[in-house]
Amino acid sequence: MKRVIIAGAGLTKVGDHWNKSILDLAVDAATAALKDAGIATPDQIIIGNMFSGFSSSQESLGAMAADALRLWGVPAFKVESSGASGSMALHVADSLVKSGQANSALVIGVEKMRDLEPSEAARATSLGESSEYVQFFGISQTALGALITQLYMQEYEVTRDELSCFPVIAHKNAVTSEHAQFRKAVSIADVSRSMPVSDPLRLLDCAPVGDGAAAVVLSNDDGMVKDPAIEIAASAASTDSANFYQRDDMLEFMATRRAVTKALSLAGISVRDIDFAEINDSYSAVAGLSVEALGLSKMGEGARDARDGKFDIKGKVPISTYGGLKGRGNPVGATGIYQIVEAYHQLVGKAKANQVVDAKIGLTHNMGGIDSAAVVHILRRIS
Amino acid sequence: MAVSYWRERDRYYRILGSKCQNCSAEFFPPLYRCRKCGSDKLSDHEMPQEGQILAYTLLRDPMTGFEDHDPMPIALIELNNGVRIVAQLADTPIDQITVGSKVRAVFRRVRVNGPNGQIFYGYKFAIKNEKVNLTR
Ligand SMILES: [Zn+2]
Repeated sequence: MKRVIIAGAGLTKVGDHWNKSILDLAVDAATAALKDAGIATPDQIIIGNMFSGFSSSQESLGAMAADALRLWGVPAFKVESSGASGSMALHVADSLVKSGQANSALVIGVEKMRDLEPSEAARATSLGESSEYVQFFGISQTALGALITQLYMQEYEVTRDELSCFPVIAHKNAVTSEHAQFRKAVSIADVSRSMPVSDPLRLLDCAPVGDGAAAVVLSNDDGMVKDPAIEIAASAASTDSANFYQRDDMLEFMATRRAVTKALSLAGISVRDIDFAEINDSYSAVAGLSVEALGLSKMGEGARDARDGKFDIKGKVPISTYGGLKGRGNPVGATGIYQIVEAYHQLVGKAKANQVVDAKIGLTHNMGGIDSAAVVHILRRIS
Repeated sequence: MAVSYWRERDRYYRILGSKCQNCSAEFFPPLYRCRKCGSDKLSDHEMPQEGQILAYTLLRDPMTGFEDHDPMPIALIELNNGVRIVAQLADTPIDQITVGSKVRAVFRRVRVNGPNGQIFYGYKFAIKNEKVNLTR
């Protein structure tokens, strides 16, 4: 097995790209990443995307991207795993480059959401839920997020204001994050009193709808190693019951727990070695359940740890350092790659105002559905 | 959707799930392998029509086709056999929905495909002992 390093990275701002198509966004991010890496022709292209067929009437994104980048001949395909599409694409690319099947790979995460009406965007983001037993009845992913939020608040006596601490952290970090969708700080009261979307979820509990693309280039060539170099120390994926309400313990994210356990083992580290974590904060309670499943908080203590400053940029384990899904935005299939680019910038020390001091090991956590699928990556600085 | 709806009609009309022939565990929706023991010997089995609310929400961000359900009351329900189901609530004033409320299954219109299109029906749940309102 070869060592896989991140040779280059690129991204677009998350938000409204009215004048850009899904392919335009993918090409922008890919071009920046290839230039940063100094690689003209990667051995492989993999796209992470959830619903381009639905939102843009466009599939075959792999061949489309290869053609647009004038990379005919390079094998290319799309990986779909709902909200975890981007990180699952990286997971596949990592295994190809690690094994030597490919010596380099371009991984692009992309999603086009803002062409959709709100009710269509709600359908798009719910496509990973059961067609027959969830979508058919008009039940969206937001509604499922609301139900698990209520269970979480009831079971652990989490207050409304404690829950609001997650969006507060995300938005605070997003203020100085140049590619973030919402660069505006919010208070606990702002979150707790924002418009109800699906009670008890409020508008500021929920990751927004936005367009975006991010890309990285992986390489197994030790000659490419820069100083400092960032390696993918571990890539692990797992799954759980597709419907959260069919799990024995509805408040345990087992896909995440399995993935992080495997990732830590592969990297040969313990969770205490993690300097920062980009987590899947798609809803406030999902942020809480995620830090708990990742082992960063005890069960039921995630929101109170957030309140007590543990996850602040200067806290014990900073999370969502560029704003997370909530503040940076959540262009679904691109999100997993945004996390990787952000972690990369942290580890090479280019995070400017968002820099986590002396960051050596970063964790990224991305999920599909309500933890139906989860992917955890551990990135490490080597020099 | 028309064909898939026909295929699922017993599931939607009678809440027809699965029962494991090996360990007697019950499930809804129906499945391929028993979640408890792994057996693939499963038979169709009707779910109990009653249960209680574990959690609920009022969805104010409806998906296409459900714009007239704003807000849409949705509950996580534990049926009397322990099986959990997520379903719309019907016939129930919003202020009467509470965690722990007893509910029973009702047969209702789920959605209409456009002004002249097919009408889809299925299960919803109503708080018990409430007056039945047949208009929805
Ligand atoms: Zn069984």
